[in-house]
Amino acid sequence: MSPVVSAQKIADELAETPPSSAVSLTMSVDNYLDVIRGVVDLFANRRQMDTIYVTATISSDSIRRVLEALDIDSSNVYFVDCISQIMMGATSAQQDDRTTLVESPTMLENLMLKIEYLIRRSQSKDKLVVIDSINSLAIHNSNWILSEFLHILVSGLRSREAYTVILTVEEHSTPELNNLINLVCDHGVRAGKEEAE
Amino acid sequence: MAARTGERDRCVTGVEGLDTILYGGIPRTNTVLLTGSCGTGKTSLALEFLIHGAMKGENSLFISVTENSEKLLANIIPYKFFDKGLIKSGRLVFIDLPIMYERLGLNKSELSMEEIDLLVSSLTSLAEELGTRRLVIDSVTSVCYKLKTSEKIRDFILKISKSLSDLDCTSILVGELPAGSESYSSFGVEEAIADGIIIMANMERRGDLLRTLQVIKMRGTMHSRARYVLDLTPMGVLLVPLLKGGSTA
Repeated sequence: MSPVVSAQKIADELAETPPSSAVSLTMSVDNYLDVIRGVVDLFANRRQMDTIYVTATISSDSIRRVLEALDIDSSNVYFVDCISQIMMGATSAQQDDRTTLVESPTMLENLMLKIEYLIRRSQSKDKLVVIDSINSLAIHNSNWILSEFLHILVSGLRSREAYTVILTVEEHSTPELNNLINLVCDHGVRAGKEEAE
Repeated sequence: MAARTGERDRCVTGVEGLDTILYGGIPRTNTVLLTGSCGTGKTSLALEFLIHGAMKGENSLFISVTENSEKLLANIIPYKFFDKGLIKSGRLVFIDLPIMYERLGLNKSELSMEEIDLLVSSLTSLAEELGTRRLVIDSVTSVCYKLKTSEKIRDFILKISKSLSDLDCTSILVGELPAGSESYSSFGVEEAIADGIIIMANMERRGDLLRTLQVIKMRGTMHSRARYVLDLTPMGVLLVPLLKGGSTA
């Protein structure tokens, strides 16, 4: 295996997809920071898109700190945080104009409603919705309901001409989960460790 | 401002998801029973229906039975699209029914048939005077407590529905249900007379409490009968389909 895929390469691959695309982004745990830089900074920010970032793995507060550490402008990033409350770590201060809390990652309908709310509120012409990650959502939900959720969510986002990027951690994925994502996504970007040539 | 879909003129509620469920909106002049237990969003939905009506230039009237309208206004979600000018201009009017009871001398705990007629004619005159095209009574259940018998409740709802319909007014009667109730109304009469029934509920699933909405019947239009999950947001009521993979019922 050769080194992980660069942030620029991730952004370039996303840039080749047309609006309304749903993209499955398979990454390695080692490549998380490059993925965030590639998706949020080099892809969305450069195109002046609003990013709706759904956090199911780590809290929005942590992602915000990562963005700060990477020196990435987060003024156009809005969070739907479905992990802080269940971890009992959320305070009222964390729910602000840019962060919406969902009580639990099992409340998938509420997750869709919060995304819908942020899309309606967004003034930006182009929007990107990032699901971080499908593996974390799969911990709390069966594949059946997850499949239904992704189908409705992605169809709705397509009709609003928003990009969807679904993050999958390759080390934690299963063939069932990969099939489920392949059913709703029209492009796949691999940002894991590159295969040796 | 009515959208025309099929045979009947529509009263577009302005709640996008609900209009989609109803294939374009409530058939104009229908009387709809919007029913559910506490905390399900009935009043918010009814208010949004009126605000959107007023914004479209349709005079809208909210008749508050249980809550003082000033308190109600202070508590409603700060809708981003709400303009206080709608109240100043008289497009959106709030009336407290207890004040009306007092003025009409209807202070008794049980109203007679004659007093019901007086109440209906007073409400109708008010709606006519204001040129009302959309009306909400919140809640009709509280009015029914003063009527006591099924005959009187039936008589009141039939008469008020007909009078409002004759005025080309589309109305929502908000009904209150005890938590966990399996019926559509407290007295078992209201749902039989209403042209439409929209039920709002709290649905528990694996410890999560979801607010849901389901259209049970709506005369004059096809409609979805599926259950939807809703959220009350500053952009208004938003709806998404209930995911069936997790449904307990």
